[in-house]
Formats: sequence, C-alpha cells, structure tokens
Amino acid sequence: MRRIGIDVGGTHTDAVLLEGDAVIATTKALTSTDVLTGIMTALETLIDDTAFDPTEIEAVMLGTTQFTNAVIERRELTEVAAIRIGMPSGDGLPPKVGWPDDIAGALGDRVYMLRGGYLYDGRPIAKPHEREIERVVDDLVDKRVEAVAISSAFSPMNPEPELELARRIEEALPDTRITMSHRIGRLGLLERENAALLNASLLSFADGVVTAFIEAIRARGLMCRFFVSQNDGTLMDAEFARQFPALTFASGPTNSLRGASRLTGLDDAIVIDIGGTTSDIGVLQGGFPRESNVVIEVGGVRTNFRMPDILAIGLGGGSLVARGGMSVGPRSVGHRLVDEAMVFGGDTLTATDIAVAEGAAEIGDPGYVAELGGDTIASARATMNDMLARGVDTMSPGEQPLPVVLVGGGAILASSFDTAGPLVHPEQAGVANAIGAAIAQIGGEAERLVPYDEQNRDANLQQICELATAQALRAGARPDTLRVADIEETAMSYMDGNMARVRVKVVGEIAGLGAPASEAAR
Amino acid sequence: MRLSVGDLDDLSLGGVFLATGGGGDPYVSYLLAQQALAASDGVDLISADTLDDDAFVATIGGVGAPSVSLELLPSIGDPLKALRAFEAHVGRSVDALVAFEVGGGNSLVPLIAAAQSGLPVIDGDGMGRALPEAQMMTFPIAGISPTPALAIDYEGNAAMFDSGSAQTYERHIRAVTQAMGGMIIAVEHPMTGEALKSAVVRGTLSFSIDIGRILRERRGLAPQLLPALGAAFEQSQYGALVELYTGKVVDYASAIVGGYDVGKATLAPFDGDGASLTIDIRNEYLVARIGDHILASVPDLITVLDYETGTPINAERLRFGQRVTVVGVGCPDYYRTARALEVVAPRCFGFDFDYVPIEQRV
Repeated sequence: MRRIGIDVGGTHTDAVLLEGDAVIATTKALTSTDVLTGIMTALETLIDDTAFDPTEIEAVMLGTTQFTNAVIERRELTEVAAIRIGMPSGDGLPPKVGWPDDIAGALGDRVYMLRGGYLYDGRPIAKPHEREIERVVDDLVDKRVEAVAISSAFSPMNPEPELELARRIEEALPDTRITMSHRIGRLGLLERENAALLNASLLSFADGVVTAFIEAIRARGLMCRFFVSQNDGTLMDAEFARQFPALTFASGPTNSLRGASRLTGLDDAIVIDIGGTTSDIGVLQGGFPRESNVVIEVGGVRTNFRMPDILAIGLGGGSLVARGGMSVGPRSVGHRLVDEAMVFGGDTLTATDIAVAEGAAEIGDPGYVAELGGDTIASARATMNDMLARGVDTMSPGEQPLPVVLVGGGAILASSFDTAGPLVHPEQAGVANAIGAAIAQIGGEAERLVPYDEQNRDANLQQICELATAQALRAGARPDTLRVADIEETAMSYMDGNMARVRVKVVGEIAGLGAPASEAAR
Repeated sequence: MRLSVGDLDDLSLGGVFLATGGGGDPYVSYLLAQQALAASDGVDLISADTLDDDAFVATIGGVGAPSVSLELLPSIGDPLKALRAFEAHVGRSVDALVAFEVGGGNSLVPLIAAAQSGLPVIDGDGMGRALPEAQMMTFPIAGISPTPALAIDYEGNAAMFDSGSAQTYERHIRAVTQAMGGMIIAVEHPMTGEALKSAVVRGTLSFSIDIGRILRERRGLAPQLLPALGAAFEQSQYGALVELYTGKVVDYASAIVGGYDVGKATLAPFDGDGASLTIDIRNEYLVARIGDHILASVPDLITVLDYETGTPINAERLRFGQRVTVVGVGCPDYYRTARALEVVAPRCFGFDFDYVPIEQRV
C-alpha cells in the first residue's frame, strides 16, 4: 500500500511517499503563513517528481503544529463556556484559575460551577440540582454560546455527569460544540479541564483546517482517507480531528522519534533531531517515545497530556561558533543561515561552516571556508561532540549503551560524533517527521482508579484493557492488529484496600489499510 | 514578618525541598492561598517566642491522599470552616495557628485560615520537614495530645476525636479520612503558648522562603546551586548540606503497603560507570545508601533535585530516566533526642539499623 506523510514544521513542510516500508520519494517546501499553500506546494512537487497515480494512495497523514501555535499565539481561539460539575468541592478554584490573563480573556468569561461529580470510591459528591442545571442551560441559550467545555470530578472513572449535561445542552442548543473532559485527559481535574477548554476553543479553527485540507487533496485527485497525528504517536481520522484538535499538541517530536525508529528498524535508541537552533534528544522505548512525567504547559496553561521526554540543547546548524571553536551556540542565526553563514558568503562562523570545512557536508561554497584554521575546526568539533555526548549521557536510560540515531536537517553536524553505542545516520533522516506521521498507528487509552490486590489485579487490568480496546476500535483500529502498548500502575498513598490508578494504552493498524511489511512480520 | 502574595512562590518551592519527597504537589493549595492573601492585608508570621505562655494555639492542615485532591479539589472556605467548628467544639477561641509540617500544601493551609480570620501564623511547624504519621510530630513527642481534634470534609461534615494516644488518633483519623472522601482538613493539638514553645520547630516557614528564593533566583544545574543552598543551611538549625549523589534513575518501583507509597529508587551515574545509589521511600525519602554503606537516613533530610533546574522533586513524581542530584542535610536537634528517636528512628520505619547523624556518616 502507498501512503503520504506530511509534516508541517516551523520552517519547512516535508512530504514523503511510502510504499509499505520503503520511502519512494521525499520533498521539502517552505512553510507558508497560511500553512495550506506550503502543504500543497510540497504535495505537488511530490506528485510531479514521481508521476504516481493518485488513486493508488490509500491514506494521507498530516502532522501539524498549527493548533499548538494557535494556543501559543492566542490566534483563532473562540470563546468557550466552562462548566464544572463538582461543587461543593473546589469552591475558589474555578475553571481557568491560574491561567495567563490574555488566554483566559480570549476564551471569554462564561464560567459555571454545578453540584455533583463523584468521589474516589464511586460515591457521589453531591446530588445534582435540577433547577441549577436548568438555569445554566437557559443562560447558554440566552447568550447563544457556540462552544462548551464540561468537566466533572473523577470523570475518567465515572463520566455520567458530563454525558448527562452534554445531552441536556445538545437538546437545547443542537449546533453548540461540546468537549467533555473525560474524552481528552486523565486524572487531575484542573489539568484535564484546561485541556478540554483549549480543545473547545480550537474546534471552529479545526473545522476550517480539516475541511480546507480535504478539499485541497481531493482537488489533486487524492480520494483516499486522511489522518492527523497525535502527541502519543497514534493517528486520528478527519472527523475525530475536528473534535479533538488539542490532541495534536507536541506531535512533532513524537513523529520525529517514530520516524527514526522506522528508518533504522530500531525499537530502543537515543534519537538526536538536529535543527537550525537546537538539538532535541529523545529516547525510543519499544518503538515509542519515552514520555515526560512533568506537568506540561501549553501557552502558559497547565495540561496533563502525555508528551515525549525531550532534552533540547543549544546546538543546531545555525549555531554561532566563537572563541576559536571553544564555544558553539546557544545563539543561532536560525533561518538566516542562507544569508549569514560563511559557506553562503556571509561573515558569521556557524556550526554548518565547520561541518563543510571538515568535508562532512556539501552545503554552499566550500571555497569560503578553505582558509579556516585547522585548530578552530578541531576545537569546534570537540566542543560540539562534547555537547552531544553530555546530552546523550543525560538521556540514556541504563547501563547498556544504546544506538544513537541522527535525524533532522542538521544531522550532518554529528556525523563524526563518537558514542559508546553504534551511530546511525539513516538516509532520508531529513524527513523523519513526515515518515513518523505516515507510519503512525491507531490507539485507545483508558484510565481507572481501582482497588488493587493480588486477587483482583488481573480482573481489573483486563477490564481496563477492554475499555482501551473499545476506544481504539471507535478511533478506527483494525481488531486483529491491536496490542497493549503500555500499562501504567500508580499506587495511591494513605488509602487502605490498595487503591491504584491504572492506565492502559492499546495500539493497532488502521482498519481498511494493509499493514506495513515490518509490522505484519512481527 | 508580614506575609503577602509575593512570598508564596518561594514558600511553596522551599517547602517542597524541606518536605524530602513527601507532602504532595502544593499547586492547588498555592492557588487558594494566593486568593486568600490577595483578599486580605497579609498574614502576620510571628516567632513562637513572642507568644504569651497562656495563649491558645492549634495546628491545622490537610490529611489524606495527595492524589485524591487532584480530583476532589479543596475549597477556599474549608480551613476557616474547620477552625470555627473546632473553636465551637472546644469552647475557646484560637489565638494563633501553626502548621503540621513544612512542605506540600500543609505549609499553606494555615495561611488560608489566617488570611480569612486575621489570626497570626507561627513561624515554625511540628516536623521541620514532612513525615508520614501524626505521632511523629514534635508536639506529641513532647507529650502534647493531638486531641480534642476536629476534621471536616468537602461538604462541611465534621468528625470529632478524643483519643488516648497519638497512635490511636493517627489510626482513627486515617479511617475517617477514607470515609470522608479521601482528603480532609483537621484542626488538632490544642495547646498553650508555653507548650508550643517547648516543642515547635522554629523559623521553618521563613526558612522555606529563603530556600525557595535561592532555588528560584539561581535556577540552573543542581550542582551549581549547592554552594548557595549550603551556605543557607549551614547557618540554620539543619546544619551542613551534603551532596550525596548525582545520576539518573535507572530503576523505580513502588507499591502501597499499609496505606503508604513504599518504594525504592536506584540511581546510576550518567555515563553508567561507578557505584549506584539506592533510596528507600515511604511517602518521603528515608534512606540513601551505596551498597551497604548508608549515607543518610531519617530523621535527617534527603532531598532529590532535578539535575537540569535544581527544582526539588516529590517522590510521587520520581520516574525512570530522571536526571537528579541527591542531597542530605541534618534534622533539627529536637529529632535527635532519645525521646524523639523512639518514634522517628529508622527502626520505626522497619529498617534494621540505628540512627547515625549525617555529619558522622559522610
């Protein structure tokens, strides 16, 4: 089968055409302000270069930073009514508490707190008040609210209060878009509610992006299915993406790691993605990124999305080389590399110039760096290798040295990097992100707080696996390819009866598509 | 000293350091304290020694599983509600509030009630760090009964305690906490100013602010923070700070045993060469050792700092692969007395060795 992966980055939009595991063609275009033009330029180049028959393409996968950037730049956000069910608990901690003023303001000032929700042991916090609910729904109708985020205490364990309120609002306001927190986040009410609010505020933008993209690929004769990549390395289909745009946050680093895994066939490795300004070092565990466990802020708002654990160090292709090579970075000429670097006739010595002077790269005109002193080159090389070595040591999980995979446009900087494990610099390393998007799978996740001891552990675990499987099937996974990718068990302190928080992730191939060769062989 | 909103960041951050892995994430208590203080003229943080001997003091704080309050959010009125119910129950007005422990949300709960009632808060606490059980506080060690005590839940239901011993009270309040939704606010240890002075660990809230300021202003690689932190500890009742280890977490396992997070973390050097360090955990970091050689143990303080930023890390946030610097520091002298060691020595946590002060170990 053939698929196309597209990665929209800050500078470049990359596209790749894959046949099974094999990369048939790759292309790079500049990312345009409207994003879509850049995507179409990349697609058209790919079509022209390969002269493939568009009807043979089975799917297009898009990895994009548009929704993250909309939150960071406070663009394209719509007002959202925030409704929390959990009173009398949480009085004084209303939705959007602790948010930066500008983004809180962008979402408007409609905030409601209702009685209800559940406790850790499944008992209700309070009986809902019918009149209270009526008043809120009437107010939403009155104000013609277009987007609503609903959260409820312990809703990952019992979503009924969120579902019931959503039904009431749908009855009264059939066109209003609703995000329920239990569909988007895990335990941690404030962070889950924040995720639901950001998501709801992006729904209208997501509709526009998805519709425009589908129209554009259809206009090029691509009548296939279309998916968007999520932060956990799995895909969502177009309809799901319209409902959950916030799940694309941080999908870029994930795609880069997953692409590196596919390019090298390695499931466990350190991956260095070298760009213009930084090197992002991540870790592959079992073919997926190792995840960070800290609270992740998106645009200054705390969320509890799972994001890859990335160490960014200030070394990239545009990094400034100073003090005779003793210092490299963190300052960088960034995208002005093509004007300011010496190999392009500029007068700034950059990391790229060192790589060209060493003969490790063919970029610009090597004549401009022919006069560069051998001491400076050797010293800068030692500095860069030392920076990378420290980063890799820091990220390495255990005593056994892991292979190090180089990807990204600046990967040539590290070609003589000396590591304990093997150094792998795959061909097509420059488009690893787009490949990562193309090969992503469909996943499902479930999380519950359960009594947990030797007697009921297996039964509870099986039940949570079934919930995760059901979610993966709803998202469009093929039943015979599903496997449990991750089980996380967190014990709860100060509780008898061994309560534990258990989270299960299930992944599989997209239903209706053939599995790539290496997946099928596993 | 008059506490205002501007002090809360440093107080919370420094508190996580002194909490030695325990105490939970102070974020929601921080948000509530921020609002309570902003709505007040500030809170007087007073030295225990300025208090009249016949003044009436009580401790106030949260009891329960920190993970529960991630969903069952606390309310801004709860601490004052608990205080007023307690006063009605004992028939007397409280003159000043004191924290159970420094660290986590429990440094901040007294400030919320104080901002709303106008009462002062004692610059000090009943632990000088965080410890898991009520009988481990300095007050019961000094013979001050934790009861009569009162606890309220999220909807204002109250439970009163009158217990024969601190151990009994601990057992009962744990059971009640579970029945009340997993997290409650308790007011306990009614005592005179004179009794307070005999047992309180002095100056710990203002010291948290000092430590928090150093961590914030010098945020960066942990080993580079240590000289400034060390200088602050050297001049305090805790004494010299010792860097025990720098490395990454290569193994981490925890399980619930008897209602506690019991676990063990193993750390290895970044480059993999050299001896590994193990840390025993029971909510707090209790023992740090390389092989059979013990570097530090409870009641001395063991704290784990994020290597990149110097930020202290709670035990529940410790994870495989994390890069950390581990430091140790002595406990306040009170915990080195024979009477205190009866309830906080390593053997009280199930370890088979006696307490040796950190300065004699390292």
